[in-house]
Amino acid sequence: MTLSDRPIALSTKKLVAGYERDLPIVRGVDFAIRQGELVVVLGPNGAGKSTFVKAIAGLVPVHSGTASLGDADITSVPAHEKIRHGLAFVPQTENIFATLSIHENLLLAANVLPKERRQQRIAALYGMFPDLAVRPSLRAGQLSGGQRQMLAVARALVVEPSVLILDEPSAGLSPKIVAEVFSTLKVINKTGVTIVLVEQNVKAALAIADRAVILVEGLLRHEGPAATLADDPIVAELYLGARHVPKAAGQ
Amino acid sequence: MNVELIAYGAFFLTMALTYAIMCLGLNVQWGQTGLFNVGIAGFVAIGAYVSALLTTPDAAGRFGGFGLPIVAGWLGAALAAGLVAFLIGALTIRLRADYLAIATFGVAVAVQLCALNLEPVTGGPFGIGFIPRPFASLAGDPLAFSLANLGVLVLVVLALYLALERLLRSPWGRVLRAIREDETAALALGKSATRFRLQAFAIGGAILGLAGAAQAHFIGFIAPDNYMPMLTFQVWAMLIVGGSGNNRGAILGAILVWGIWAGSAGAIASLFPPGEQARAASLQIVMIGVGLCAILLLRPRGILGEVRTVSRHIGRLAGKPVSEP
Amino acid sequence: MNPQALMDGLVTGSMIGLGAIGVTLTYSILRFANFAHGEFLAWGAYIALAVSGALGWLAPSLLAPIGPFSFGWSLPIAAIAAITLTGGLALLVDAMLFGRLRAKRSTVIIMVMASFGAALTLRSLLEFIFTAKPAYYTKALQIALPLGGGLRATPDQLLSLGLAAILVVAIHVLLTRTAIGRSMRAVSENQQLASVVGVDVRKVIRTVWLLGAGLAAVAGIMAGLLVQVRPYMGLDLLLPLFAAAILGGIGSVPGAMLAGLIVGLTEAFAVQFVGAEWRAAIAFVILVAVLLFRPQGIFGRPE
Repeated sequence: MTLSDRPIALSTKKLVAGYERDLPIVRGVDFAIRQGELVVVLGPNGAGKSTFVKAIAGLVPVHSGTASLGDADITSVPAHEKIRHGLAFVPQTENIFATLSIHENLLLAANVLPKERRQQRIAALYGMFPDLAVRPSLRAGQLSGGQRQMLAVARALVVEPSVLILDEPSAGLSPKIVAEVFSTLKVINKTGVTIVLVEQNVKAALAIADRAVILVEGLLRHEGPAATLADDPIVAELYLGARHVPKAAGQ
Repeated sequence: MNVELIAYGAFFLTMALTYAIMCLGLNVQWGQTGLFNVGIAGFVAIGAYVSALLTTPDAAGRFGGFGLPIVAGWLGAALAAGLVAFLIGALTIRLRADYLAIATFGVAVAVQLCALNLEPVTGGPFGIGFIPRPFASLAGDPLAFSLANLGVLVLVVLALYLALERLLRSPWGRVLRAIREDETAALALGKSATRFRLQAFAIGGAILGLAGAAQAHFIGFIAPDNYMPMLTFQVWAMLIVGGSGNNRGAILGAILVWGIWAGSAGAIASLFPPGEQARAASLQIVMIGVGLCAILLLRPRGILGEVRTVSRHIGRLAGKPVSEP
Repeated sequence: MNPQALMDGLVTGSMIGLGAIGVTLTYSILRFANFAHGEFLAWGAYIALAVSGALGWLAPSLLAPIGPFSFGWSLPIAAIAAITLTGGLALLVDAMLFGRLRAKRSTVIIMVMASFGAALTLRSLLEFIFTAKPAYYTKALQIALPLGGGLRATPDQLLSLGLAAILVVAIHVLLTRTAIGRSMRAVSENQQLASVVGVDVRKVIRTVWLLGAGLAAVAGIMAGLLVQVRPYMGLDLLLPLFAAAILGGIGSVPGAMLAGLIVGLTEAFAVQFVGAEWRAAIAFVILVAVLLFRPQGIFGRPE
């Protein structure tokens, strides 16, 4: 099955959302991602990328429109139940519990699973992230930035989500760590997890994505395959204010 | 009969106005600066006792009794309370809002304890009596006396109101407003937010002390029992009902809540036999407590209060509580 | 120096500690200083009084003192009822007041003000129902037994100490080794993230109220047993409760108990020098010292 034949994993229809009722930040977004895709959400600062994914996750009030996982409308599902539907969200900052140990962070996430599966899933994640298994009783607050990000992703994967949303996972990390994180995400994607990635680090994100969409001032303005988007002059104009000159022939 | 009614009305209004002064002082601390003082009773007590000690005639076995004129007493009261407010503020103003609340609560407890135990200074549980009343020469004529006292309070409240409104519109007041609404911006301007807050806290405290003195001289005697947490609660209720952040609301709230308080006390007391008056008093407080909670739920900005743009910002400065998920 | 102060301090301290644990838990998870917490103590004590009295009236044999203690079976049975009902009271107050204010995204100050109003209402309601006259669970007198080293303690006091110790350990185990405990610690650190991870924050909030109020009820019954039951008993303990919770570090259960003991012992020893009438000021001095020198408390982390 090629990508375009696969069923839709996550979609939004005319999603309007924002912290205040009279000030919508997301102003009517139609979005869709197919099973197994890795889509990047790009856009300038203040475009509403974070708010968009937070609204899907249930952390920001939705004013109108819908968000659906497959065929199921999850718009008004409470935030803490989204994960039971298979939607995992990794926020940008403060995405692990610093006062809990690594193991406790994972135990907490596993709590929504039936008892029999918990240990097995946690063990599987230690296998996938061996760094975390070295000292599982370590307070998560003592991990480095990159390790924290790994823990945050591991935590999200405990429940074997169908869709994983990450909000700027590269923020505050060195390029080397960013490369590690992104290659891990690609590996996860290859195992069948649908990934929505909000990112400012355009280059690294487009390198692993199938498709990208661009959000500007709360509206979806452009989308296309990741491979061609980097050199698309519309992207430069919308996103980078035409400061970035794409590689033209002969340069 | 009419004369008695007018005299009683004047008495009632005069008491309400002493509370209005307290509300104005609290409004400087809370409405204009966003500082959460849960120890109002303590500052009022300080003002009352200082003024009493300065103006009463000499009493055996007790410190004070300088027999100074009333004006000196009131000034001393404001200064003393303002100073204590400055010191407490210096200690606690950088704390988050609820720590400040707990600390000021502790101050009130400590002040009340001092009033109770330092008998050689404060007269202990018996308090201080024979506090000179304004226009004492008129004491023989109840109507003239009560009206004269009322006149004094009206003048004081009016003068205070005008002075405070002036202060708000002054450059100092504008900085305070800026700090209240956006601390980071104000800091960027190079203003020391703490210094301004401290000044506001001290000024508010001084006004609270003045109110204590006014009350003391109006009633004529004071005792530690007058300055229990209930007083703090009363003043807060008045400010919230009237509309915090607003000086007119402060005065209106004082008169209104005092009216409800006194009125309901009488009404409820009449429902109970003489032996059960203590029960009547507690029932009244139950209803007042419920009333305040209702106001907070239904109309937290009070009658004349500003729309809550202020409190949202204060919430951010002081740390948001858990919000409903 | 009277060594008896040590026992008095430990006993008072353990009561303060139990109450402070409730304060520290609700404070760290609900993020506001609940001035009504002292009233859960008082209500716990009074409910136990009423139920115990009713049981004693129905079956006088329940009043007969158990072993060396001063109370009969009516009290432990009443205590269970009191703990349950006080927990229910806390849930009711939350549903009617705090929860609604949270839903409106009210600020900390509104919440504290409301807790003040709730405290006043609850306290005066007790005064209305029971009057201000001090009441007692039992008229039986207790002999203080010598423990050695000049210390004496009544069986009631030793029981209270033992119970407090057991409860602290139990709560600590609950927080560190159970799923609900982990959820509570998670919500205490980051409520939004906890939601994202699948924690039902409303359920955690309900649990915290039940736990905090239940502990307060136990502390109140202890205070009622060892001293007396009065409507103002909660308010009188409020400042020591807050002082202990802050001294221990908000969110730390062992910290709250340790700090409670420190406050209790300091009070007991200090009144030997300054007199009992200054007792209430001791907690204030401790509070100011903590806020000045180490506002995060013993086990807290600097912000």
